[in-house]
Amino acid sequence: MENLFVNISGALRGWFTGMGLPPMAVEAIMALVFLVAILAFVLLNVVYLVYLERKLSAYMQQRLGPNRVGPRGLFQTLLDVLKLFGKEDIIPNAADRWVFRLAAILVMVPAIMAFAVVPFGQGMIAVDLNIGIFYFVAVSSTATIAFLMAGWGSNNKWALLGGMRTVAQMVSYELPMVLSLLGVVMLAGSLRISDIMAAQKTVWFVVLQPVAFLIYLVASTAELNRQPFDLPEGEQELTAGPFTEYSGMRYALFFLAEYTNMIAVSAIAATLFLGGPQGPWLPSWLWFVIKVYVMIGIYMWFRWTFPRIRMDHLLAFNWKFLVPLSLANVLVTGIGLEIYKWFQTIRW
Amino acid sequence: MQIQLADFALMMPEIATAILAIGLLIVGLVVPREQAKGISFLTVAGLVGIWLLNFLYWHENASLFGGIYIVDPYTVFFRFLFLTAAIIVALAAKDYVNTLERNQGEFYALLVAATLGMMILAGAGDLVTLYIGLELMTITFVILVGYQKKEAKSSEAGVKYVILGAMSSAVLLYGLSLVFGFTGTTIIADMVPRLTLSGASPLLLLGIVFLVAGFGFKVSAVPFHMWSPDIYEGAPTPVTAFLAVASKAAGLAAFVRVFLIALPELQPYWITIVVVLTAITVVVGNLIAIPQSNIKRMLAFSSVAQAGYILFGLVAFSSLGVGALLFHSILYVFANIGAFAVAIVVKNSTGSDEIKDYSGLAQTSPFLAAVMLLCLLSLAGIPPVAGFVSKFYLFMAVIEKGMVWLAFVGIMMSMVSVYYYLIVAKAMYLGTPNREAKPISVSASTQIALVICLVAVIFFGVYPTPLLDLAMNVGYSFFPF
Amino acid sequence: MVSPLVFWIVAGITIIAALAVVNLTNLIHSALWLIVAFVGVAITYLILEAEFLAAVQIIVYAGAIAILIVFGVMLTRRGDIRESNLFNNYRLAGGLISLGLMATIVTMVVKTQWAIDVAAVPANSVGLLAQNLLGQFVIPFEIAAMLLLVALVGAIIIAKEVRD
Repeated sequence: MENLFVNISGALRGWFTGMGLPPMAVEAIMALVFLVAILAFVLLNVVYLVYLERKLSAYMQQRLGPNRVGPRGLFQTLLDVLKLFGKEDIIPNAADRWVFRLAAILVMVPAIMAFAVVPFGQGMIAVDLNIGIFYFVAVSSTATIAFLMAGWGSNNKWALLGGMRTVAQMVSYELPMVLSLLGVVMLAGSLRISDIMAAQKTVWFVVLQPVAFLIYLVASTAELNRQPFDLPEGEQELTAGPFTEYSGMRYALFFLAEYTNMIAVSAIAATLFLGGPQGPWLPSWLWFVIKVYVMIGIYMWFRWTFPRIRMDHLLAFNWKFLVPLSLANVLVTGIGLEIYKWFQTIRW
Repeated sequence: MQIQLADFALMMPEIATAILAIGLLIVGLVVPREQAKGISFLTVAGLVGIWLLNFLYWHENASLFGGIYIVDPYTVFFRFLFLTAAIIVALAAKDYVNTLERNQGEFYALLVAATLGMMILAGAGDLVTLYIGLELMTITFVILVGYQKKEAKSSEAGVKYVILGAMSSAVLLYGLSLVFGFTGTTIIADMVPRLTLSGASPLLLLGIVFLVAGFGFKVSAVPFHMWSPDIYEGAPTPVTAFLAVASKAAGLAAFVRVFLIALPELQPYWITIVVVLTAITVVVGNLIAIPQSNIKRMLAFSSVAQAGYILFGLVAFSSLGVGALLFHSILYVFANIGAFAVAIVVKNSTGSDEIKDYSGLAQTSPFLAAVMLLCLLSLAGIPPVAGFVSKFYLFMAVIEKGMVWLAFVGIMMSMVSVYYYLIVAKAMYLGTPNREAKPISVSASTQIALVICLVAVIFFGVYPTPLLDLAMNVGYSFFPF
Repeated sequence: MVSPLVFWIVAGITIIAALAVVNLTNLIHSALWLIVAFVGVAITYLILEAEFLAAVQIIVYAGAIAILIVFGVMLTRRGDIRESNLFNNYRLAGGLISLGLMATIVTMVVKTQWAIDVAAVPANSVGLLAQNLLGQFVIPFEIAAMLLLVALVGAIIIAKEVRD
């Protein structure tokens, strides 16, 4: 069981090589295979994440949630997707047409690209880059642009306001997020995902870096634009923020991107703080999925617990609390590392 | 490569300057507004402390971090120059800063940060450090130039400086990247052996052209001087004084180090460009200064011309030239800041920068008029005061290299400059004061600044030998040819 | 080793994007094309096996375009955004000078004998980079920190509104 997916990929690779393809072509085909596998994983999960979210929220509010379509409402979101496929794709007359169209597609690009460095199990990283975690940071930093393009392209006041808020929020909260990851990188001594996983063999980094974990949790919630940081959408104020003018499949893409990002962010949290795909008894990939779902559960729990924060509080909280805290965390980690090294040099 | 703590010890003045800048920032935040006046004393005290600290490093001749930073008499000399300028400006700026509604502490912190950038620029032994130091200086000046937000002219000057500064930095950076691309090293001292090996190449020459343009902008040599009058006029006067003197000297320090240390092999190629640049800088700077009616614009163009004179030292390509260049730079600090300090006082009291409003200043405030007169005479190079000696050596350095015509141009243009400097003197001494004009009261700190400039200008004019010997020794140790 | 063809394609796209930045009249479109140009540069770094630099290029430049657009939206006074990035009257002269400069540079580049380094890129380039930045190049590194501090303070001083 442990090596199920690794074996499948090995068999595929062997098969392609056996067909007499040059090594470069084999690599290209394998990259395609990985991409398709990741897409399949993500899309399947998203459909049921929406269901999970609706159910969870319902239980938290003492309701039943979707329960009509299929057993316990299991087919509800599937049908929702089908419905969205059938809707008309409306582009407003006054919209900046190309920007409007491109935004819905571009929003998916960083979301999917982030999965290239996610370790789905032992030896199951699509590309084990030597800048691993930094790649994730770089890719996710570009997500802002798609939201702003959507907000601008719609040529709608609410959409533009939402887009501007996205920029203010995501650019600000990127800082503590990156700095909190730095604490982990300092402990592991490497940016490579597999090295970070290996460094957590004995103890998870959530134990050594509790402050960093909390900062990451808060900052990533803001990066996801989820409650209590959902100001860019803010239904009561801005209808749906940047997505106000979108309909049909394009709207679904934004929806999809949000959940894809949530999986990506949870996967990175699981890898960096919760030991990655490691655990007793069960196969590594199953452990990984469990950890990711625990993280997703926390994000959903947040959403239905906290009320929305005000814009100025949002920024003040970041710049006056989170950023200094994360800087202090880096400092303390550095001092701690030196003390640890010093202890190791002492002969007891 | 291991970092050696001894390397940091040689950089104590720079480190102390950085700490002072950050400390002032913190003090500016903590101290209540009514007590913010004390920050200027703190600044001056700190700078004087660093100035004294710098004496420890006279006899050092070290290359730190594998050539990244160089502490030799040349660096130490320029440290003194920048610190002196910063001290006098900080003293003279006190009255101006007190008129600010807020950000008083930040003004001094930025002043010190700019000084740090200049010190790094003068000591940089590699291109990356040089560029970072340059940017620190430029960015800080952008903020300082635009400090008077309520005045449209100041904001305009800030915007102009940021755009033109970025443009010139880009040109310089492109030149640096070409030089790096060809030599394969950013460390200035390591370039020489590689260049001796390979000789000139078209791309390297292109890089040199870009470097001349980039540095030319920083020292505001013609034709890269277009930014200076507008920015000098718009900026708060203390900032203008610092910009005109110290930032120019810093650009020059890096200019000379790169061209004399890294590129002496290519001297036949770049000397032509620099000679032409120098000649037109002296001519154009002086000629355009004549019709100016605003004292800051006049001083701006005169500083363009002064940059031309100082470049004589580079053109001479000898230790005499470098020595004369250093000597003239430091005298230029006293003379120019002295003139600007008077302009600050007059502006604060009459609210005007026009030369015609200096009319009769000698009757109402004879001390101010005297300082202004002597500083201007020093800038013009009239015998009893200091500027004469340094100009004499600059001209001698180029004559020694057979460029008599260049010295002749320089002397001619010095004559021209006397004319426009004396226009101000004429207004001050022969003009009649306004009926309601009162004696201008000068605060103690400004008085100190004025006295320092006055004494320096007279003393080094009458008895230049110690400073001259010092500058010549530094020049000889820097470039022993 | 990546084939040179990839480089030429990427370089072509980068240049086209850069031209679009200059020539489009809509400020927002210009800014968006700038992203393409920056990503093109990042891919060039990747071809040169400088992954870290590529990621920095993305995070610092491409990521920051959003800020640029926000300022573009907030500071453009012109009523019609479609005419927010116009040329002035020096279009022809500027174009000619740029072409002349380009011709000069290209001639110089072609005429130069390049020293080509064929040594392999070290495997742990990020670690070496860190050691260099905090070792030999610690002075420029710290001065850069000082520069950022000054820029931050300056941004606040300049951007804070003036009360009368």
